[in-house]
Amino acid sequence: MSETVKTTKTALIVHSDMSALSAFQSAFVGKGYVTILARDLPTALLALTQHFFDVAIISSRLGEGGDGWPLAGVVHLIFPRAFVGVLAPETSVLTLQAAINNGVTQIFDAAGNAEQVVNALSAAQLGSELASTEPGTSIH
Amino acid sequence: MAQKPSLLIVDDEANVALTLRMVFEREGFAVQTANSCASALKLLENGNLFDAVITDLNMEKENIGLEVARAALQLCPRPAVVLCTGYASVDNSAAALEMKVDYLATKPVDLDDLKRAVSRLMAWRRQSGRGNEQQ
Repeated sequence: MSETVKTTKTALIVHSDMSALSAFQSAFVGKGYVTILARDLPTALLALTQHFFDVAIISSRLGEGGDGWPLAGVVHLIFPRAFVGVLAPETSVLTLQAAINNGVTQIFDAAGNAEQVVNALSAAQLGSELASTEPGTSIH
Repeated sequence: MAQKPSLLIVDDEANVALTLRMVFEREGFAVQTANSCASALKLLENGNLFDAVITDLNMEKENIGLEVARAALQLCPRPAVVLCTGYASVDNSAAALEMKVDYLATKPVDLDDLKRAVSRLMAWRRQSGRGNEQQ
């Protein structure tokens, strides 16, 4: 009897800017991920109840859509083995403290390129475990 | 009767260690203290298991609390690790993040915040089984 093993990884991307979401979506789909996109806190929280996430990339500033740091903490609580990356405009002591206290794996420069973030993430955490199945996308 | 969770407090200021000891004993922890990185490392390397470790950052040397954190994070089961410092910098905070320290408290420490953080980490550790995996 054969067992079905989940090989496709799922990434949650939370950003208030649609063009940034698209860029991250392309970068992750290019690496074989299923991507779930959210532009604000309520949408992201709903997604957490509907999917299992291996990776979350969250903007620390969601504009009127909320603050990204507590969301990172919630993702870490629900998916303790997930890679949680936060896009922050600066690397200060306060930013690093927020990252540590919310279980963030790595901080990325908010002005950085999506491809660079995904490549850095792959190198840091996922190595050769990239998914090999057909990617899919769901937009909330 | 359930066993008390164990906590190691590392601080070279005796009054700080004593205060934290009293606070966390009142919270139901079995507390051991160490007044230096060297003493803490002896405790951690001699097979003592702790559910949580709270360590000062600057003791014998600047940032030496990171050595305590590193040793604690290598234990299996892995304790929750909290750094307390009045001298947080981008460099030492980035090192703490990279090591996966669980909580960074800046001095003067708000004791209620610290108690809540340790309590939350202990609950999360129990529920997620996180303490049973290596870094």
